[in-house]
Amino acid sequence: MKIHVTGYGLISSIGTNAEESIESLRNLKTGIERGRSQATKAYNLGAIHLSNDELKKRFDLKTDGSRTALLGMVAAKQAFEGHELSDEIRTGLISGTSVGGMDISEVEYKKYLDQDGHNPENYKHHSSGTSSDQIANELGISDFVNTISTACSSAANALMMGARMINNGMLDRVVVGGTDSLTLFTISGFKSLMIFDEDWCRPFDDTRKGLNLGEGAGYIVIESEKSLEITKKQPLAVLSGYSNASDAFHQTASSPDGHGAKLSMTEALRVANIQPEEIDYINAHGTATPNNDLSESQAIQSIFNDRIPPFSSTKSYTGHTLAASGGIEAVFAILALQNGYLYPNLNFKTPISETGLVPQTTFEEGKKIRHVLSNSFGFGGNNSTIILSAT
Amino acid sequence: MNMYFIHTIASISHQDSFQVPNVFEQLEKLGDDSDIVSPNYKEYVPPTALRRLGPVLRMGLTASIECRNNVDADFDAISVGTALGCLKDTEKFLVTIHTTTSDFLSPTAFIQSTHNTIGGQISLGLKNHAYNMTHTQNNLSFEVALIDAMMCVNEGKQNVLVGAADEKIDFLAQAQPDLIPDTHPLTSGASFFVISPKKGKTSIGVRDVYTNFNATNSDKDIQNFLSKNDISTDDINVILSSSEQSFSDKQETLNYLDYSGMHYSAPAFALHLAHDYLLSKDKQLALIINDMCPGRLGLTLVQKQ
Repeated sequence: MKIHVTGYGLISSIGTNAEESIESLRNLKTGIERGRSQATKAYNLGAIHLSNDELKKRFDLKTDGSRTALLGMVAAKQAFEGHELSDEIRTGLISGTSVGGMDISEVEYKKYLDQDGHNPENYKHHSSGTSSDQIANELGISDFVNTISTACSSAANALMMGARMINNGMLDRVVVGGTDSLTLFTISGFKSLMIFDEDWCRPFDDTRKGLNLGEGAGYIVIESEKSLEITKKQPLAVLSGYSNASDAFHQTASSPDGHGAKLSMTEALRVANIQPEEIDYINAHGTATPNNDLSESQAIQSIFNDRIPPFSSTKSYTGHTLAASGGIEAVFAILALQNGYLYPNLNFKTPISETGLVPQTTFEEGKKIRHVLSNSFGFGGNNSTIILSAT
Repeated sequence: MNMYFIHTIASISHQDSFQVPNVFEQLEKLGDDSDIVSPNYKEYVPPTALRRLGPVLRMGLTASIECRNNVDADFDAISVGTALGCLKDTEKFLVTIHTTTSDFLSPTAFIQSTHNTIGGQISLGLKNHAYNMTHTQNNLSFEVALIDAMMCVNEGKQNVLVGAADEKIDFLAQAQPDLIPDTHPLTSGASFFVISPKKGKTSIGVRDVYTNFNATNSDKDIQNFLSKNDISTDDINVILSSSEQSFSDKQETLNYLDYSGMHYSAPAFALHLAHDYLLSKDKQLALIINDMCPGRLGLTLVQKQ
């Protein structure tokens, strides 16, 4: 069954919607900069410079929630704009997140430790599932809600889960994607892993040192053919392939040869029923950590051999938005299909010595792009690939 | 009508529920001094690794390995539910970042704080490269994991591991009832199952699952769920709920939280109870009503063929 895409929305440090994001991508304008607060000034981050209150006001959000939930509402509302709820169409929300309401909990827990005005009521926003409930409430969606939490592959897995629920006849239309806000918890966590680049990250460059964190949310709306007949929506793209596989190598590191990545790309191509040479652009996971980019490069080489399509990591623009990344990058993929865009991989100078791969370094448009492959790999060896295709 | 047959079950709970043929006959309600009946974890996880794993990780991993030991083939999909995930490691890392001024932090607690550490540890422990998903949806986490596992079976998978695990930390009492209800003593638990399209030893399986995160009329949802499955309330032999629900005097009723204690993976333990009830009493139909949280309803229909 064809899974049609009929809406998209995103927010990240390079824009609060698709138009702003494309302007940034076109003008090589990154969202990564030095943190502006005392707690974050030591880090390069892709932060969204709108407070929670500003987000609520500017995007007319009626539901309260953590920053993760609010960012999710902004992007999911954009995606769902122009869609109407109907008793005839079973509509669900499947959202990925890794931190959930941690942005609130970590502040509250500090108060607990300091015995300074601790208010347990604020933990009601903590659970990741609750952040999805809040996004669904904002959209009025009530037929099904689920949250996927597979670290950095969460949004990609949410897309896959949504497509499968349509294929299994359980839902007709699903808003799928992911959201994560910047938290002290994750900033400190990645610092403890010593995989930050203190400067601007350099995906796929031989001198890359690590990642920059970002925040944001990205969602798409997918529909069955039956649903399309009722909604009369114009399909924008097709979610043609998806897969998830386990690397089963290490809790945080990828296997050197990218075994899990190979499995997920191979299976996604099989689901989409296309050959590797039909892929016109790869939006790589490309976190810019030494481990990921080498492992992913080798997996790409093993799948595509000497016919590697243009590829890039847009994380040099947005930072690594963790559970949101697969959603944001799915929107980039749809815009690429619609407009023939190829996105540059900023900061690339020298190919990785082991692979010699050279990513796309300029913004291009008007290219013939039929199929885009997008990778998302997470902690726990959780590797996912989705393929979006032209209608 | 599809059936998703249960081939093996491993629960770690306050009951004698690990490696026992039938948990139902020796059930005891949790008392004040009731503790979790722990298996010998060292038989499943090397001691050096075990020391690093919080309760939810050692319980989830051990129950999963036990399931693997009881079936003939590798799992071809793994679907895990957890509502609050690895709370112990989460709290540990929170304390670290709020109290340490050093530039060097130990990453272990952070690494193990993500919800999918359970599924990741299972894949690592079993060297399993299959589909591996982690669902988190408050008290409905197990039901959504089960829906995923059932789809895996629909898609041709033969040997799907599905389960749920949640852990208690002392701090959780501070967050009650805003994060978790306070009707029963807080505790931890893990229940894992292997489901398959083929009959197992017992021919008991899951027939259907329903979730509603915004349930305003549970009675109507229950009626719709049963009629969709061509079942009347009188056909149900036992209702396992979290609030003493009953339709009539035709059913036995029990509150599964009395036996599991309060944690959001308790509905997975309820499935273990339902399976063993149908087995030991030679009955046909059990309905699990997960109404632990107001407005968040899960329904699971369990059948013996």
